[in-house]
Amino acid sequence: MKLLALGTDHRHAPADVREAIAFDGSRREEALDALSAEFPAAEVAILSTCNRVEIYAAGSEEAVPSTGALIDALARFHKVPAERFERHLFDYHDDRAIAHLFRVAASLESLVLGEGQIIGQVKEAYSAAVDRKTIGSILHAVFRHALFVGKKVRSETGLDQGKLSIASVAVDVARDVFDTFVDKTVLVIGAGKMADLTLQHLADLRPGRVIVTNRTPERAEIAAKKWGGQVYAFDRLGEALAEADVVVSTTAASEPIVNAETYKRVQRKRRNRLALILDIAIPRDFDPKIGDIDNVMLYHVDDLQAQTEANRARRAKKVDPALAIIETETAECLANLRHKQQAGDILRQLGDYADAARVREMEALFNRCPDLNESQRNAIAHTLHRLQNQFLHHPRAALRSAAADPPNEHPHPLLNAVRRLFGLSES
Amino acid sequence: MIWIVGWIRLALGTCKGMGGLIGKLTVLCFAGTYGLALASDLVRFVVRWNSRWYATVGLTLLGWIVQTAYLANTGFHDATTLVTTPFWSLLILSWILGAIDLYLLVRSPRTASSGLFLMPMVLGIIFAASWGAKRTEWVGGLGRSSPAVEFWGTTHGLLLMAGSVFTCLAFVAGLMYLVQSNRLKHKRPPRFGIALPSLEQSERLNRGAIVIAFPLLTAGLLIGVILNIVLNRAQGVTIGWTDPKVISTMAMWVVFAVLLHARYRPEMRGRRIMLLSVLAFLFLAFSLFGLEILHIPSAHGGAKATGGVS
Repeated sequence: MKLLALGTDHRHAPADVREAIAFDGSRREEALDALSAEFPAAEVAILSTCNRVEIYAAGSEEAVPSTGALIDALARFHKVPAERFERHLFDYHDDRAIAHLFRVAASLESLVLGEGQIIGQVKEAYSAAVDRKTIGSILHAVFRHALFVGKKVRSETGLDQGKLSIASVAVDVARDVFDTFVDKTVLVIGAGKMADLTLQHLADLRPGRVIVTNRTPERAEIAAKKWGGQVYAFDRLGEALAEADVVVSTTAASEPIVNAETYKRVQRKRRNRLALILDIAIPRDFDPKIGDIDNVMLYHVDDLQAQTEANRARRAKKVDPALAIIETETAECLANLRHKQQAGDILRQLGDYADAARVREMEALFNRCPDLNESQRNAIAHTLHRLQNQFLHHPRAALRSAAADPPNEHPHPLLNAVRRLFGLSES
Repeated sequence: MIWIVGWIRLALGTCKGMGGLIGKLTVLCFAGTYGLALASDLVRFVVRWNSRWYATVGLTLLGWIVQTAYLANTGFHDATTLVTTPFWSLLILSWILGAIDLYLLVRSPRTASSGLFLMPMVLGIIFAASWGAKRTEWVGGLGRSSPAVEFWGTTHGLLLMAGSVFTCLAFVAGLMYLVQSNRLKHKRPPRFGIALPSLEQSERLNRGAIVIAFPLLTAGLLIGVILNIVLNRAQGVTIGWTDPKVISTMAMWVVFAVLLHARYRPEMRGRRIMLLSVLAFLFLAFSLFGLEILHIPSAHGGAKATGGVS
């Protein structure tokens, strides 16, 4: 049994090289068909995302193409000279190939550590190979195990916990303050890129009402139109603040536009209801003292940034426990594959052994009874074939069952027993 | 350890059938199981285990079933009604809170941490019941001859019990609000996989609990006052207005009245209301078991039934 993982990613190749050998859309299916035609005895799967392109091949020693042959096939398929991408490629073999796929599924190889998209992309790669029938028992087992490992690493280490972008941390903070947003009003002060990005995330919360205010009314109109909000003239800021539950402020003002005294008056108008202010502006739009007012949560961009950094650091700490899980699971996956392969070998040998004995005895019988006609010979052959199948039914069923069990002992005692009972070789 | 030994002895004991097994249940059996449930919940501070939630729910459920069996069996054998003695009242209160904890565990997301607030309270109340609470009647010595007095006395107890349950819930919601608010004010990210309810959710739970608790406590106290006057006229015995239990219960009622009033005062919203909820619970705790633990005499289930009867 042999396994090969050949590919590149954001660490090994620049974007233009990755793009040149990527398998977008239906190109993956075409490539699977092409590789399968070129290496018919090998199992093949392709993982292609914006940050990585990987080809997995598995099978017997003879069936799996060499790294060079696979590179040539890749160059031919993309009509790109191999020299352009060859030096950016990595290749892993056998257990290292399995461990690599597990690391990928666990998002340890991702640009954003712990990101959730990759597990879906591994699932897509597996489904595409299943659809094109280019995958066999080895890659079936490896990919299914990889999906399991991806989930296990996330649930046991919390690698995916804690958001890494300012806008998504802001949304988490909003969820910690408010339960529902359908009855809430979001006020956006300013209409720049950051306001747009934060609104994009806040839109997932489905706020009941959006108000946009900006010194330039035209830009406020554009933002309001995009997010289905109302425009308030900038001189109505106090009124807008009194109506808002969540405030996102992103102006380019050189001094705070709201001081503590002003906001205290706003809170009195709001009957001291909970308020969340996300001050994304640099320098600040809201006086930091506003954060001391009861029932007002004031977050500055630095606070959100600090949380993303803390989350990043926390995720980095989970890498070692994740690698420990991957090491254990790789060993288990390899042991399972070897175990299944051994059981498969024995089943094959058992079939060959029984076939040989049946054919030998049948021919001896036919030689002893030359008068048997064609119909009688067929009937005898059919009977002997059925007899052989009936004798082997239970041993085969037991072997298949043993192959499905996780191997606690190497080799499984049943495999040894069948070998000894039928005098099969160790190969 | 004592709890494990207790269980082993119970399992290996000479109990005959289920009846014998239930008869051998002690407070330690369910308190220990609740303790393990809390320990299982606390494991989240150290490691992330998928099975943690199942262990916590399973142990809480087991503890609650054992407590139910204990209460049913003891109540049947001793012919005790729900709120006759301080010991029983506290066990019933912890049983109801245990059921609420179980409900919240199952209904909330698995990272939710309401159990970290509710279960210590359940254990505290069981501890207070076993350690300080009397097993004699709340009003031992005051006489309860007529069925009418018996009925209204039980109604008084049940209303105060229901009010206490909601006071405890208001306290838990208040605590969760204060912890979450403090975290957000200090811009700290959530840790240890703990998910607290949003401020709005805690506020809503707190408000709901106060709104329900206040009429229950008011009705319970009113019935108590009327009973006191009736008993005074009929038998010449009464619980004095200066009795520590009466004072602490009235103080709790006043805090609740303030809490309800504060709902309509915008400047009182948020932290102050939550702190008042904590204060209301402290008065409740003092009234329910503080007197016994501190050995303060009271005519109404205090450490020494001799005090306060005029």
